[in-house]
Amino acid sequence: MGAAVMEEPAADDGVAARAVWRRFGEVEALRGAEFTAAYGEVTGLVGPNGAGKTTFLLILATLLSHDAGEVWVGGCDPSREAGAVRAQMGWVPDSFGVYDNLTAHEYLTFAGAAYGLGRSASERADELLALVRLEEFGSRPVHVLSRGQKQRLGFVRALVHRPRILILDEPAAGLDPSSRVELRALVRQLAADGAAVVVSSHVLSDLEQMADRVVFFDGGVTVGVRRLDDVAADAGPRLWRVWALNASELVAALDRHGYVHTPPTVHGVDVELASDEAAAGLIAGLVHDGVQVVSCAPLTSTLEAAYLELTGEQA
Amino acid sequence: MTGVLTVARLEFTVRVRAGRWRWLLGGWFVILVIFTVLLRLAIGHAQDLASSRGTVMYGGLELFQLALALLVMPALTGQSVNGDRERGTLGVLQVTKLSAFDIAAGKLLAAWGTACVFLLTSAPLVAWSMLEGGVPVIRVVVVSIVVAVLLWVICAVSLGLSSVLSRSTTSSVLSYLFVFGLTIGTVILFGLSTALTVNSDGTHSNETWWLLAPNPFVILADAAPVAPVPPPHCRRISGALTPGTLPNSVVTPLPGSSSSGSVNSTVEFCDSESMVDPLGSISRSVRDLRTGPGEPVSSAPYRAGLGPTVPRGGLVWPYGLGFDLGLGGFMLFVTTKKLESPRRHLPRGVRLA
Repeated sequence: MGAAVMEEPAADDGVAARAVWRRFGEVEALRGAEFTAAYGEVTGLVGPNGAGKTTFLLILATLLSHDAGEVWVGGCDPSREAGAVRAQMGWVPDSFGVYDNLTAHEYLTFAGAAYGLGRSASERADELLALVRLEEFGSRPVHVLSRGQKQRLGFVRALVHRPRILILDEPAAGLDPSSRVELRALVRQLAADGAAVVVSSHVLSDLEQMADRVVFFDGGVTVGVRRLDDVAADAGPRLWRVWALNASELVAALDRHGYVHTPPTVHGVDVELASDEAAAGLIAGLVHDGVQVVSCAPLTSTLEAAYLELTGEQA
Repeated sequence: MTGVLTVARLEFTVRVRAGRWRWLLGGWFVILVIFTVLLRLAIGHAQDLASSRGTVMYGGLELFQLALALLVMPALTGQSVNGDRERGTLGVLQVTKLSAFDIAAGKLLAAWGTACVFLLTSAPLVAWSMLEGGVPVIRVVVVSIVVAVLLWVICAVSLGLSSVLSRSTTSSVLSYLFVFGLTIGTVILFGLSTALTVNSDGTHSNETWWLLAPNPFVILADAAPVAPVPPPHCRRISGALTPGTLPNSVVTPLPGSSSSGSVNSTVEFCDSESMVDPLGSISRSVRDLRTGPGEPVSSAPYRAGLGPTVPRGGLVWPYGLGFDLGLGGFMLFVTTKKLESPRRHLPRGVRLA
């Protein structure tokens, strides 16, 4: 199944995986998963709980071995050349602890030492703290950091050895909106600098603004791949939500043009439209009729629509 | 080696900064001081211990300190690996350049370093017992090394258990059970097994002595170099001597004095006090057990001053220490194996991150 939806893994991909199987006792977490992530791109990994995302990322991170299939991270096999993979890969797990009694600077310096940076570890720690605006916390114990700040600290920890491949498991979990915006910017910047970034997330709207490409997992197999521009293009018929200053004028105009719509609520009126062009036509018509349109937007994001379609779940 | 030191430095820093550690160290010192002061008062009260105050103080202090250390160390190391797993700090360590051995040995080094800090707090009390006399430097050096090595073994076993078992409470409990087995279990096992060796010739403890060998107290006592003998207290007595006036001690006729039949004579008699040495008496007991029945090597009480040191049976401590060190080394190996990744098998409920 997976092979049909994936392009062949290329040798110069940051991450490539073919027909990966992994079983935990009775449970088959991965059943022939396929995956690629190119350098310079952010690749999203999406799927319902239990789809095998974390298992797959742990295999990439050299912590779990796979039972069958081929995996390359930076051109090396993580199960046989773990050291070579670790040298060029940064990993941010979905939940991780920090040593409460260390300062943020010590924490990063230790990470640098663990990656063999030697004397430059302290300097690198300063750079990384500046990167996520945690300089003022450099000399303060980690336990005074907020959850979002800890998350940022854990994130830059994975950058300490300037990895070319970055694996992020649910990096946005527990972040406030402004931290999410910051995280997105940082991830985009790393990809622009040439890194292959793999991000798993449940927050599809985040991925939509962060990823170039999204791989969908379900039940341990790859069920689809979408480039984000493709997702936007072949969105197909979906619900759009329209709102205007005067609800009755809006409803009257919609009826006049023959649109099928829901009754108005405080959120607006939902209309099913075939395409983006149809939406543009609707807005033009309403404006022409003198309806003071406030907003008109797709009710489900394009990625969400693709997700629901590919994983077979109902909205 | 750099990797080991990196991990050890981190672990040690984290330990030192944790508040409970300071309280534990403070409590530890207070308990040792109370014990030593009480011991010294008790010794001062007992007349027959006058010449072996230092020996008793030092031996008692070291045995007590070892007992206390055996109680505290499993708590300090029993959660090294699985605790890190639970807190989610292990995975990020494993994906670095650090090898599994770096992490295992670094954690062990930090735990052992902590144990050594605890031992160091007893230095003033050891110095006090040395001032009381009868405690040679070599004894202090050897005993300190042996105690440190024994604690390394306890740390290594606790570390190994924390890497094998996924729950930190389980591994802590098992660490304590291990200490229990090593200290009390060996004695029980020895006692029960030895009962089976009794026949008409006597009790053949020479077949079962090795069951006692891994006991830390036995190792500590048996490895301690022999305490020096207090100088005999000698007096000259002149005048009419009749049988019965002389104490039951060595009588040396002085040159020039009249023959033994003479009534008027001068003799020097040396009254050698019995020496009390807690370490020495444990050592003597286990070596006698090793010798077994029929060949009493030192059935006489531990009386120093009767010429050269009373011969002791074969050494016991090298076997015990060898066994314990082997066990510690094996547990370090196990920890390393458990920290190796990628992992093929995951114990139930183990989170990798």
